[in-house]
Amino acid sequence: MHFIGKDIDQYLSQREYVDTAVVPLLELNLSETGLKSSAGASEYLQSLTALLEKQFKGRILLFPPVSYTAGADRTRMAEEISSEMEKGGFRHVFYMTTDAQWRSMESLKNVLWLPAIPTGDMDRNFKQSVMEDQLRQVLPLFLNEWS
Amino acid sequence: MSNNRVSRRQFLGYTLTGVGGFMAAGMLMPMVRFAVDPVLQQKGTSDFVLTDQRVEDITEEPVRVDFTFEQQDAWYTSEVTNSAWVYKEGDRLIALSPVCKHLGCTVNWAGDPNHPNQFFCPCHAGRYEKNGQNVPGTPPLGPLDEYDVQEQDGFVAIGAAKENTLTV
Repeated sequence: MHFIGKDIDQYLSQREYVDTAVVPLLELNLSETGLKSSAGASEYLQSLTALLEKQFKGRILLFPPVSYTAGADRTRMAEEISSEMEKGGFRHVFYMTTDAQWRSMESLKNVLWLPAIPTGDMDRNFKQSVMEDQLRQVLPLFLNEWS
Repeated sequence: MSNNRVSRRQFLGYTLTGVGGFMAAGMLMPMVRFAVDPVLQQKGTSDFVLTDQRVEDITEEPVRVDFTFEQQDAWYTSEVTNSAWVYKEGDRLIALSPVCKHLGCTVNWAGDPNHPNQFFCPCHAGRYEKNGQNVPGTPPLGPLDEYDVQEQDGFVAIGAAKENTLTV
């Protein structure tokens, strides 16, 4: 489910089934050199999480990307986000990101780090198949966590 | 001069009836037009979306067929890709919606190794028979929806979703 009013109504009535939160973590980089790749990573991350949401609509709640700047204190962010997620009462929380700095973060469980693939210049069908390949790599991680 | 002369009274009567008639018609016509308009309205050229799946390649084993259409969401138009599970029963094409009737996940054919001839929803282990009938005792409450489906120039074309007609 998406983090939108309509889905949240359904979420509230079906809480026992929707036990997993997905939080995309997105670094904003507006420097001359980083802008393009930052935007590409954003596109990649959002397409991937949208596909994931479509596959597991009834079990995950997909949050909007949490965006931060390059210099953000990730340790503090990790604490804040995970404590907020705890309030939500989710049994499983996944963080998806293309930012390698989260990999070393001990306090966050289930950080899925994926290298961003620049999909911006691909044609539609090719992009679709690339993203589905990516999705296939992520799905088992979810199924493992659930089982 | 003819014998049946029109009197001034008659002339005024005819004129007023005529003019009144035009005015009444002018008011009634649009009303009638509005009332029958939905019937006259033309549907878009075709509600079927052509896919790139050949009909001759389809067997009795359901395959996933993707189709893309434009969806307008208030001011935002986006291209949406949906998929359907398509298989043949005899010569008849059947397309089932992959959307689980429980909470809307995407179901997979033979997704559960223990039940190779059923659709399986990975979220809460919902299962459906091949014709879309939900397996009792699993979370889904109804059968999978069905799509209108037809063959166009040898390719599968997928239409509107409707309630499942295969299960009784």
